[in-house]
Amino acid sequence: MKVRSLRLRLLLGAAAAVFVALSISGIALTLLFERYIERRVAAELTNDARRLVAGLSVDAQGQPHASTLPADSRFAQPASGLYWQLSTPTATLKSHSLWDQSLPTVTRAPSDEWQTRTAAGPFDQELFLVQRVVRPDREGAPVLVQLAQDRALIGATRNEFARELAIDLLVLWAVLAAAGWLQVELGLRPLGRLRKELADLNANPSARLASDHPPEVEPLTRAINALADAREKDLEAARRRAADLAHGLKTPLAALSVQSRRARAAGATEAADGLDRAIAAAGAAIEAELARARVARMRTSPKRAHTPALGAVERVVSVVERTDFGADRVFDVDLPPHVLLPLDTDAATELVGPLIENAARHAHRRVRITGGPVDGAGQKIAVEDDGPGLGGARPEDVLGRGARLDESAPGHGLGLAIARDITEASGGSLRIDSSELGGLRVTVSWPAGARPAESARQRAQATE
Amino acid sequence: MRALVVEDDPVVGPDVALALRDAGFVVDVAIDGDDAWFRGDTEDYDVVILDLGLPQLDGLSVLRRWRGANRSFPILILSARGDWTEKVEGIEAGADDYLAKPFEMRELVARARALVRRAAGHTSAIVTLGALTLDTRRMSASVAGRQLRLSPLEFRFLDYLAHQPGRAVSAGELAEHLYGAADASDSNAIEALVTRLRRKLGPGIIGTRRGFGYLLEGHSP
Repeated sequence: MKVRSLRLRLLLGAAAAVFVALSISGIALTLLFERYIERRVAAELTNDARRLVAGLSVDAQGQPHASTLPADSRFAQPASGLYWQLSTPTATLKSHSLWDQSLPTVTRAPSDEWQTRTAAGPFDQELFLVQRVVRPDREGAPVLVQLAQDRALIGATRNEFARELAIDLLVLWAVLAAAGWLQVELGLRPLGRLRKELADLNANPSARLASDHPPEVEPLTRAINALADAREKDLEAARRRAADLAHGLKTPLAALSVQSRRARAAGATEAADGLDRAIAAAGAAIEAELARARVARMRTSPKRAHTPALGAVERVVSVVERTDFGADRVFDVDLPPHVLLPLDTDAATELVGPLIENAARHAHRRVRITGGPVDGAGQKIAVEDDGPGLGGARPEDVLGRGARLDESAPGHGLGLAIARDITEASGGSLRIDSSELGGLRVTVSWPAGARPAESARQRAQATE
Repeated sequence: MRALVVEDDPVVGPDVALALRDAGFVVDVAIDGDDAWFRGDTEDYDVVILDLGLPQLDGLSVLRRWRGANRSFPILILSARGDWTEKVEGIEAGADDYLAKPFEMRELVARARALVRRAAGHTSAIVTLGALTLDTRRMSASVAGRQLRLSPLEFRFLDYLAHQPGRAVSAGELAEHLYGAADASDSNAIEALVTRLRRKLGPGIIGTRRGFGYLLEGHSP
């Protein structure tokens, strides 16, 4: 299996390495402990042996006698695992524990020091022996003194130690693995932040990665930032080209409509109608493209601006009341001067423009523009008219790009769709319902501290 | 009627001129900003069709210079840009109407005619009532020297009251005069119009006689 997660790789590696290290040290410790136990047992047996030797005598027949016996009661229990035996060439004396068995004798043993060895013994036991040759009388027979302990007793102690050690080491392993996990988490945390910042960058092309990343990550963030700069520049250039192209197409379109008029004057009505339809479609596409470019530019603009709503509304009203459809309308502007739109002046004008134009087109007499704070720190602005209103249409139909309540009033739905795009790019929302004046009411509201980037990300997620 | 068409496009300019000639105008054509500024400054036109994207001197600058020199002929802006920011700039610089390309020639002619009609309806220039001065040709007002731009509706409202010296005019009568035929809801519109005008003009200009209607206070003794 190929592990792709960096975190899992680091974690598994650390856990395996710690496990191997702890296993080796566990085995080594157990071996050391076993040797220590053997030395202890040898010391105890030697001690008992010295006691035996102290009271050792050999009679004329070569029979050994021991007047001082080791105190341990196990020497008296048959097959207890603890034995002693005194052997001369002719006779032996042995502990009760040996019963009718005997320890394996040797022909040669050192006479100056206690020797230890391992040998197979009675009762199918493997024995740990200490032995030495002693001469109680200078002329008497040599006595082979042997004391033995069942190795199984040593093994049991060792196993018990090993078990406890294993538990301790397992706990230690868990602790070290947890420490390793913590290390990996702390070590990889800057990458998590990087990922979050990259998501921001993805949602908002003008965002950049922060400069306070760890030095190991910094070359990466610098490279990504450079890439983002290049991308934004390309994007801006592409947008500018699209806008230039769109503007550039308008005058040729006007010239085309001249040709259409000439064709009509020459009697080619059908051809002129076809031309006019094509010109209108191209014009609408250009307007939509330019509007999109404006909204996109606004969304990537990093600066946070505020524009007084009253100023933007009055400027737009001064335009609309000069148009043929706006000349006879009353513009009832009731806006406190402190209402601020979270947009720069141009964007505020582009938002308010279509709302007021739309209302003026459909109003009977009056267009009312109101606004004020919502929910404490938020802002809202509403544009209403006393026209025919929705007339059974659903608000979402009005908002669909290019949709029109009234096909005879050009630019209706497109204008509202542009207004909605601008609103959402600045973190606000646009709602359509019925006005108490009888017509349509379009309300644009922003929550406190509306942030364009967040809204853009939400939109990006929503379209995925 | 004399019209000046300022347009540098070799197809659109002559065609606009042709359409206006067909509509009865006497048309001059300027193809750059300097030429346009000179003609507008030295000749009297009844209407000017002004393209904003011009060589040498751009349309907005030409417009500002004319208005700065008190040239008061109505101006219809033609522009390739259709955004509100530019419309607002144009109107604030003193234009009277705005048409975005591509446009329908019929609409351009209709708007040019409307501009001429609006300006021509008021030949005598200035009406003064107390602090309020109405410029009937430019459809603007000033209060104690402060210049105000009025919408055609607002202007017609003030103009009507100005011609009813000392008489309180009811909302119904005003609605009937402004809209032709009035219905019950129109008195609300008149009320909103008065509120808006009072905010523009300041206090003490439009008075209310409860039960009778509105009048301009300059007429009061």
